[in-house]
Amino acid sequence: MFEELDPILHSQLRLAVISLLISVKEAEFTFIKEKTNSTAGNLSVQINKLKAAGYIQVIKQFNNNYPQTICKITKEGVEAFELYVKALQSYMNPEGQ
Amino acid sequence: MPEKNFSPQESLQLIQSMIAKTRRDMGDNSIQFLLWGWVTFACCSGQFILKKFFHFDQHYVVWMMVIPATLASIYIGKKQNSKRKITTYIGDSMKYLWMGMGICYFILSMILTRIGWDKNIFPFFIMLYGLGTFISGKFLQFKPLVAGGLMAWALAIAATFFEYDYQMLFGAAAILVSYIIPAYLLRNKNSTASDV
Repeated sequence: MFEELDPILHSQLRLAVISLLISVKEAEFTFIKEKTNSTAGNLSVQINKLKAAGYIQVIKQFNNNYPQTICKITKEGVEAFELYVKALQSYMNPEGQ
Repeated sequence: MPEKNFSPQESLQLIQSMIAKTRRDMGDNSIQFLLWGWVTFACCSGQFILKKFFHFDQHYVVWMMVIPATLASIYIGKKQNSKRKITTYIGDSMKYLWMGMGICYFILSMILTRIGWDKNIFPFFIMLYGLGTFISGKFLQFKPLVAGGLMAWALAIAATFFEYDYQMLFGAAAILVSYIIPAYLLRNKNSTASDV
């Protein structure tokens, strides 16, 4: 059953990032870092993996002359998250199948 | 957050905890409710006092307070936006709802300027207060706002049985139950949640 879980999402930090982004329209990098208690370096690597998979969109911009990185879940990311949750549920309630 | 193999139960717990963390950061709109609540409450009761006790012809002049309040509201909104680290669909919906409500109040004021302010107009304003707070309460899943909206609608109907002067008091009462009291409760709830 574990094999069916999306390997991109079945990682603590990447799953935490996607779970944060699923309930908001967009979030700043600093917000994600604070909520996931991760280091900037590790978070950047994981965000790049999610971006490469097409699950999130990363927007770099300036706000009051300060650089700002905004992350946003994509349609593919929402679909992947829904499939991942479905797979988790079927694993936990096999009799419900 | 360390990387390690984790079970489906841990995955679900992680998802739940992350969603709960964003819910706590939905943003505090209570300051806007309090600003508009107190300004409109002061306008309604001020107009009643000027008309009933001082017999002042231009009793409606108190509503000029809305102009500095609008400027203050825009300033507060911009300041909050620059500090905000997340944008939520609920936040956006609330923004557009109240923007639309503001436009409705403005259009209603324009209509009344044309047809005359001495008509029994307060029930219409009270009905709109009720609509805004009812929908906001549903968006935020905050029962006192929903209840405030329902009470404002009841007050809108009740106000039609009274003459214009007393309708102002119904307006003030509607603002108290649909804006001010829920705003203090919302503020209290948000500060308790941020302490967790």
